[in-house]
Amino acid sequence: MESPYLLRQARIERITRLTEKERLFRLVFEDDKTLGHVPGQFIMLSIFGAGEAPISVSSPPDTRNEFEICVRVVGSLTNVLHTLLKGSTVGIRGPYGKGFPVKEIENKDILLIAGGIGLVPMRSLIKTILLKRGAYGRITLLYGVKSPEDILFKDELDEWSKVPDFDLRITVDKPHPLWKGHTGVVTRYLPELKIDAERTAAVIVGPPVMYKYVIMGLGEKRIAGHEIFLSLERRMKCGIGKCGHCQINSVYICQEGPVFRLSDIRRLREAI
Amino acid sequence: MDYRFLPKKGLSLFVDGLLKDFKVYGPVKMDGFPVYEEVSSAKELLLMHSPSHITPKKYLFPQRETLLRFKTGEKPQVEHAADADNQVLFGIHPCDIHAIRLLDRVFAYGTPDVNYLRRREKTIIIGTECLPDKFCFCRSVNTMTAANDFDLFIHDIGAGFLVKIGTEKGKELLFRHVKTRKATIKEISKLVEFHKKKESMFTASINAEPSTLPLIYSGSYDSPVWEEIGKICYGCGSCNLVCPTCYCFDVRDDISLNMKDGERYRVWDGCLLEDFAKVAGGHNFRKTRGERLRHRFNRKFQFQVDKFGGLFCVGCGRCSRACLVNINIVEITNKLIEERETGKKE
Ligand SMILES: Cc1cc2nc3c(=O)[nH]c(=O)nc-3n(C[C@H](O)[C@H](O)[C@H](O)COP(=O)(O)OP(=O)(O)OC[C@H]3O[C@@H](n4cnc5c(N)ncnc54)[C@H](O)[C@@H]3O)c2cc1C
Ligand code: SF4
Ligand code: SF4
Repeated sequence: MESPYLLRQARIERITRLTEKERLFRLVFEDDKTLGHVPGQFIMLSIFGAGEAPISVSSPPDTRNEFEICVRVVGSLTNVLHTLLKGSTVGIRGPYGKGFPVKEIENKDILLIAGGIGLVPMRSLIKTILLKRGAYGRITLLYGVKSPEDILFKDELDEWSKVPDFDLRITVDKPHPLWKGHTGVVTRYLPELKIDAERTAAVIVGPPVMYKYVIMGLGEKRIAGHEIFLSLERRMKCGIGKCGHCQINSVYICQEGPVFRLSDIRRLREAI
Repeated sequence: MDYRFLPKKGLSLFVDGLLKDFKVYGPVKMDGFPVYEEVSSAKELLLMHSPSHITPKKYLFPQRETLLRFKTGEKPQVEHAADADNQVLFGIHPCDIHAIRLLDRVFAYGTPDVNYLRRREKTIIIGTECLPDKFCFCRSVNTMTAANDFDLFIHDIGAGFLVKIGTEKGKELLFRHVKTRKATIKEISKLVEFHKKKESMFTASINAEPSTLPLIYSGSYDSPVWEEIGKICYGCGSCNLVCPTCYCFDVRDDISLNMKDGERYRVWDGCLLEDFAKVAGGHNFRKTRGERLRHRFNRKFQFQVDKFGGLFCVGCGRCSRACLVNINIVEITNKLIEERETGKKE
C-alpha cells in the first residue's frame, strides 16, 4: 500500500507575472506521465519546509506531462513559491475532487461568472470549451475584479473576446481613472444579458461573498438550479476526505466537490 | 463465541509473555486519574475503572505523527514514514472498542490512510469491563458492551478471569503464553450478571432511542441551544482532544536549522478551534462558537452517521468530563429531544 501523501516531482518550466500578487507557473513532471485532470479539479502543491496547499489546475487537460497553476500570494507556502526560480522543483499530488461537467453542458449556451482569482479554474474550463468550440452554444463570461490591476490573463481575455459568439464583460468594483469599461459588482450586469434560460448552463467561481448574490441574479433569469454549477473553497489539509477541514455537514468538499450542482447544495446549510 | 478461564496468577504470566514481542499499553493511575501508559507488568494495570481522561486512540492515531521524511535541495528526496511497533492495547473499555471500530472505517474508506492502517494491523486489542461514572452514557448509545472488534476480552470474575476470544490472533497469543481451560456456563454467566449490574449504575442517560438521534439533530439546526452554549464555551478544543472518535488533523512541515532535511507530519486539530474552517482571505465558515459546537455535536449524531452509518458518539462522556464550563453532551441532547417533543423552542 502506498502513502497517499507521497508526491510527484515537477519542475517549474515558466513563470509569468500576471499581477502584483498572482503568478502563472507552467510545471513539467519529472516523469513522462500526464496529470490526467479535468477542468475544475485541484492538486495539492507542496514545497518541503513551507507546507502544502490545494491549488486549482488552470490549464485544460493535456496529453503531455505538463500543466499550469496560477497562485496568489497569501501565506507561508504561496510566499515561498513566489520566490522560486525557473528550474526549481515542487511536489504535486492529485488531481483531486470532482470537476465541471464538461460533457453534460455540451450543446448549451454557457454563462460563466468569475470573481477575482475564480478565473483561475474557470480558465481551464474555457480553454477546454474553446478546443471544441462547435460543441457549445453562445458563451458569456462576466468577470469581476477589485481594480484594473487585478485583471488576470489579459492577453487571453483579449483573444477570447474575438472568438465568435463569445461575449466578454469585465467589471471593476469601483470607478478607476484608468478604467473605461464596466464598473460595479458582476451581478449588476446580469439583468441586461439576453439569456435563453431553457438552453443555458451557468458556472460560478469566486470568493465566498459573491455566491449568494449571483445565485439570486441567476434565479431572476429563471435558470434552473440543476443547470448551475459552482466551485466551493474550504480549507483543506489532506485532499482525501480525512482531515475534516473542508467538511460541510456530511459533505467533504475535496471528495464530492469542489464543483457542485446548485440544486444539490442549495439546502446544505453553511454551504453558500 | 469461545470463552476461556484464566486463573488469577495467569494474568501476570500472560502480560510478561506479551511483553516479549510487544509494547504493552494499558490503564494506570497517574495523579489519581486513570490514563493509558506503557506498562512493564500486570501489577500496574487498572482493570476495573471509569474511563481514562485521554483516549487510547493516541496509540493508533498519535497526536503528532510523521508522514514523510524529506531532503531539500537541487533534487529533493522524499520517503514515506510509517513507523509502527507491534503493540498490545490492554484494558480497552467497550466504548473505546467501538470508537476504534469507527476509526477503522474512517481511515480505510476511499483513499486508505496507510499510516493508520499499518499501525492498526500491528495492534492487538484486549478489552475489559469498566465502571461507569456520572458522565458515562454508553448504555444510551448501544456501546455498553462489545460483541466483537477485539482480539481478546478479559473480565475479572473473582477466582480468575473470564477470557472471551475475539480473533484467531488473540487466541493464539493466549494459548502461547498461558494455560487456560474452557469456561463453565456459570463462569460465563458472571459477565451477563455484571452487565445487568452495570446497566443499573448509570445516572446519565439520553431520553430517546439512539436510532432517532440523527433525526432529532437534523431538526435542531436552528435551536437556541447552540447560541446559548456558544456564549459560555471557551473554544479551547479540549472536547475534541479527549474524544475517541474525533480524528481531524492539520498537516505541517518541520525543517532542520540547516534547511536540508525535515519531515511532514500531522497533528490533531479540533473543529472547536477558531481557525479550523478559516480560508485564505480571512473568511471563516464557522465563525461563532455556537456554530462550531453545533458542527461537533452534529458530527457525532448526524453527519458522520450519513457518511459511515452508526452513531459517532460512543457515550464515553469524556467531552463533558473535560469541559471547563460544564457543557454536557447528554444534557444538550436531552434538551434537543425535549424541544422536539414539545415543539417549543424557548
Ligand atoms: C479547491 C481549492 C482550490 C484553490 N485554488 C487556488 C488557486 O488556483 N490559486 C490560489 O492562489 N489559491 C487557490 N486556493 C487557495 C489556496 O489553497 C490558499 O490560498 C492556500 O492554502 C494558501 O496557502 P499558504 O500556505 O500560502 O497560506 P497560509 O499560510 O496557510 O495562510 C493563508 C491564509 O489562510 C488563512 N489562514 C491560514 N492559516 C491560518 C491560521 N492558522 N489562522 C488564521 N488564518 C489562517 C489566513 O487568511 C491567511 O491569510 C484554492 C483553495 C481550494 C480549497
Ligand atoms: S462526543 Fe463526547 S461522549 Fe461522545 S464519544 Fe466523543 S468524547 Fe465521548
Ligand atoms: S471543552 Fe467545553 S469550553 Fe472547551 S471547546 Fe469544548 S465545549 Fe467549549
